[in-house]
Amino acid sequence: VKNVAAQSLEVKKLVYLYLLHYAETRQNEALLSINIFQKDLSDINPLVRAWALRTMAGIRLHVVAPLVLVAVKKCARDPSPYVRKCAAYALCKLYDLLPEENTTLEEIVDVLLGDSSFGVVGAAAVAFKSVCPNCLALIAKHFQRLCETLPDIEEWYQITLIEILLRYVIAKHGLVKDSVMFASGLSLETQAGRDSVPVSNISSTQAETIVKGGSGTMPNIMLFRHYIEEYSGAFDRDEDKFSFPSVTSSTNDDVVILLKCTSPLLWSQNSAVILAAASVHWIMAPAEEVKRIVGPILFTLRSSPDATYVMLGNILVFAKTAPLLFSSYFEDFFICASDPYQTRALKLEILTTIATESSIPAILEEFQDYIKDPNRRFVADTVAAIALCALKLPSITSSCLEGLLALVLYELSITNSVHLNEEDAVLVQAILSIKEIVKIDAASHEKVIIRLVRCLDTIMEPAARSLIIWIFGEYSSTGNLIPKIAPVVLKYLAWSFAAEVLETKLQILNASVKVIIHSAEDQLEEFKRTVAYVIQLAACDMNYDVRDRARFLSGLLPCCANENDSSCRSQNVDVIKELADHIFGGKIPPPSNSDSNYRIYLPGSLSQVVLHAAPGYAPLPKPQSMILIHKTVEPTRGVADSSEGTNSDAESGSSRDESGSVYDSESEAGSDSNDEGHNLHRQKENQEAPLIHMYDGNVDQAYAGRAVDENLASLISTDLTELMSKSALESWLDEAPAAPLVPVQTSCARVSFTTRSFERKPKLHRLLDPSDSGGLSVLYAFSSEVSVKSRLLVCVDLFVENVTTEQLADITIKSEEASGSKSGMDQTSEGSARYTSLYCLYCDCFFFVNLFLSS
Amino acid sequence: REVMVEKQMTAHRVDRAICGWFWEYVLAHAAGDPSKVVVSPTHYLFRVYRSGVTFLACTQVEMPPLMAIEFLSRVADVLTDYLGDINEDTIKDNFVIVYQILDEMMDNGFPLTTEPNILKELVAQPNMVSKMLNVMTGKSSTIGSKLPDATASFVPWRTTIVKDASNEVYVNIVEELDACVNREGVLVKCEACGEIEVNSSLPGLPELTLSFANPTIINDVRFHPCVRFRPWESNQILSFVPPDGQFKLMSYRVKKLKTTPIYVKPQLSSDSGNCRVHVMVGIRNDPGKPIDSIIVQFQLPPLIASADLTANHGTVDILADQTCVWTIGHIPKDKAPSLSGNLRLEEGLAHLHAFPIFQVKFRIMGAALSGLQIDKLDVKNTPSAPYKGFRAQTQAGRYEVRS
Repeated sequence: VKNVAAQSLEVKKLVYLYLLHYAETRQNEALLSINIFQKDLSDINPLVRAWALRTMAGIRLHVVAPLVLVAVKKCARDPSPYVRKCAAYALCKLYDLLPEENTTLEEIVDVLLGDSSFGVVGAAAVAFKSVCPNCLALIAKHFQRLCETLPDIEEWYQITLIEILLRYVIAKHGLVKDSVMFASGLSLETQAGRDSVPVSNISSTQAETIVKGGSGTMPNIMLFRHYIEEYSGAFDRDEDKFSFPSVTSSTNDDVVILLKCTSPLLWSQNSAVILAAASVHWIMAPAEEVKRIVGPILFTLRSSPDATYVMLGNILVFAKTAPLLFSSYFEDFFICASDPYQTRALKLEILTTIATESSIPAILEEFQDYIKDPNRRFVADTVAAIALCALKLPSITSSCLEGLLALVLYELSITNSVHLNEEDAVLVQAILSIKEIVKIDAASHEKVIIRLVRCLDTIMEPAARSLIIWIFGEYSSTGNLIPKIAPVVLKYLAWSFAAEVLETKLQILNASVKVIIHSAEDQLEEFKRTVAYVIQLAACDMNYDVRDRARFLSGLLPCCANENDSSCRSQNVDVIKELADHIFGGKIPPPSNSDSNYRIYLPGSLSQVVLHAAPGYAPLPKPQSMILIHKTVEPTRGVADSSEGTNSDAESGSSRDESGSVYDSESEAGSDSNDEGHNLHRQKENQEAPLIHMYDGNVDQAYAGRAVDENLASLISTDLTELMSKSALESWLDEAPAAPLVPVQTSCARVSFTTRSFERKPKLHRLLDPSDSGGLSVLYAFSSEVSVKSRLLVCVDLFVENVTTEQLADITIKSEEASGSKSGMDQTSEGSARYTSLYCLYCDCFFFVNLFLSS
Repeated sequence: REVMVEKQMTAHRVDRAICGWFWEYVLAHAAGDPSKVVVSPTHYLFRVYRSGVTFLACTQVEMPPLMAIEFLSRVADVLTDYLGDINEDTIKDNFVIVYQILDEMMDNGFPLTTEPNILKELVAQPNMVSKMLNVMTGKSSTIGSKLPDATASFVPWRTTIVKDASNEVYVNIVEELDACVNREGVLVKCEACGEIEVNSSLPGLPELTLSFANPTIINDVRFHPCVRFRPWESNQILSFVPPDGQFKLMSYRVKKLKTTPIYVKPQLSSDSGNCRVHVMVGIRNDPGKPIDSIIVQFQLPPLIASADLTANHGTVDILADQTCVWTIGHIPKDKAPSLSGNLRLEEGLAHLHAFPIFQVKFRIMGAALSGLQIDKLDVKNTPSAPYKGFRAQTQAGRYEVRS
């Protein structure tokens, strides 16, 4: 350390480096050197001055900080630009140490921003961003000059400066009316045959209708809200503060100059600069000019291989908003042999997004090549992509189906000869894709279904078998031909039942019931015999879940199994039949538009890549909010699902309000969207964030005009509680004839959210008796869903019911000890979340859920 | 697998344990390639991999991820430039220099000086002479004693005084041909990605203007910072003050080319556990210059028990990672090179179901396949007329033939 006074520059430099590294651990020695720094700060050699400043600011001792501040002030007016640049860097370091001095620091930033040297201006921009990112007013007087110097400063500073300027323009002038977010973006959409909404009267409600109506594309206005809003919760629907664009790009000078100065940066050699410039255009430029970002950003895919992954992630978001922008460039997304898997997956997704009628033949041809790729996981993804394309463009549906069917047969010939785990994935995915396509119009594709069912004899893979059986069960009554073969197939299934594995057995049980429900009268007797046989077999099965299912079904279908007929059931045969109809015959809800579910971040940000808000992520400032200065940096938050409320609306048809949900729990509850197209609920483990969403399933309007039979009411609270899942509840509401004056309010709080109630048979345990809890009855059951977070966790369904007529409020659920899964006697297949409905996992698990009532 | 250089940039120290975590992550994802941006429990990591060395940057807060990736690749480039080659040994041998370079390149988590010309004046390049001197005199001087003038100038990429300039400038067009031929033998896409490399050794502050005979064929461009944007926007002329030495002036892409210079026709047919392979290579349309260094390589499909491949020209090697490399060199006049042979599939497998993709490499000296031509190069502001040299070269980039 004493050598810091040495004359040799070499030694000096190395000592500086040493000091930087060890200053925090050896404070005293560092302090010794302060005097020398002060001397060096007035050295004739600018390099020495710069070093001294850098080191002094870098040693980070609070004692030194005031001295550094003085030094920075002095150096900010140094004749050497290099020293001034280092002064700007020192500002950032000082801000960490002395946040209370920010006014002084801001003054220095202001001085440096006005500097004549490009390098200093750039460094000042960096200092600005770390010292006072929200004092956008400071930019005002420098704005024009900053824009003009933009092409000349160093690339790293360009990135920062572009971001600052963009924020400034938005804060000062608001949004640009003719940007892709608004008017012209809609013209793109109109071409694509989607709803166009006049700009003048886009209201929040209309924005919502776009969310529901738009297929695959992101409504632009929502996108922009994503950019502005602090963090996503459910969108605040009553918020009318959302200000609308006030300027156009052609009339506002600031916008014009910013666009003009950023457009050459699209030719930069640095891909980060290109992306930053592209996002300015994306947000500000009129739609005709947005086109110019496409070429440069696609070129980076080839010319900077390291940046490909991040770039593709951003392109995907652009493409989802404005598919037509990229649709003629589909060739750029063709996959090379050298692409790593992530790149391939992203490219596939982009290709499916931008596919149009004109480009689809070429894209499909590519897909056909990909299917023969050695990477089987990629092949499975391709198969899924084909299905998505087929759904999107009806003209190719039948040819896709043919192709997929051929693939199934082809895969069969392979899988049966060689057994590899990966091989099955392709087969399963192919059948899954067929299922997705068939779902749209089952009757016209019945031949496909028949051919698929015919394959049953050769397909060994349990997941694939179960899928086909599901398809058979679901469409057993559609079309002309399927009902004719149904008895044969059912007999075949009954014959093979004993040899099947668990998940297939469950599917066979489900399918057979569906066949019975939908069957014509003349075949009913034959079916009944077969089904009764299957149920008998199942009742003696080794696995308790199969036995449970069998018992459940025999209760549900008294017509098939006459033993065990309780008096209650015989009285309510009709009710039960209806119930069965609703459980098994329920129409699958239309797939929710999961695209609009996930949060979008500013292009080019880290959050965009990792898909959650990274600490320090700051959305764009509110339009025209120059005065509003200090926005607190938001803490880390889990990303709450943005539109759960909306989705459950669509699904159940009754409006639901999210009721209070305040709990913390170590357990993770999350059901993934399964193949039936259920909502995607991913709830982050976070102490603050609401972990479990409680839906108040009872809104009075839903009951208005309908009523609840007293008899049924008692029934539901006693016998049939075990069937009380959402769909059961609904079916029951639909049928109830009589009219008590006060409707019973029933809330159904579910930790795990699923509507495929027939997939499991919940055993309900009473948690809270209505008599001693003020009229609230709480039941819980272990659902057989696999938790997506961990296999050791189980999902628990809570059924909360208010048996009184008063309102119950403030229901709090706390979990004290949510771990403790002991002895995982699980027999499960490696379940990708996609097949949640088919896989089951059992764990012995103890949950202690305490309910605190405050009403 | 060991941490070689660690440089803390900001006040918030990053524990070295993160590297251990990263390696575990990489090992766990050995099969698939780990992503460029990794989310660890405590940090976000950015990763750039160059010839056996992984460069890792981490952050806890929001920042443009591309900036981190670009910076890491810049560090890698600069180190390659300094050390000739980056690997474990060179970095360890030159630890002091590497550390100093890192220190100059980044300050407080933001890039400081990344321009190679300035860096070279701040931190001297290691070479034989300086090493000898160090040994002889016992002192080293890797640090420049003077602040480079370029830090203050308006052309930061150029040092003001270039010593011993030989008054020459060379312009080199290097193109890579990307092509994709699908299983039906149809050319799906074919484009050329080119770079214009300039090696200038000019005294003073020269003004260069480069113009093309046919600039309209260019689809996309990217420029070195020294290129002025205005002349390109208006007249498609490159006007610039070059840095000293070798640099990449511009990269460009020419899309939708019609043909490829050579053809590769693979045929694979399989039945009853055997797969016959036949690959033919020939010249499709002669670019006028010799095509050499032709290599055809492909990954043997999985589930192959044994492979027996021979060629009538060139050599065939099967590497340890199941890559079959057929080195042809240049195509002889009298015969068309072909590779043929048999792949035995594993027991119980009748047909091949995953087909390999053939990657083709070649090189053509003296021609740019995109057809881009340099019209003229004007040099102003030099004391005497410099020597100007032009070259062109094309090689295969991502040239793939599916089978």
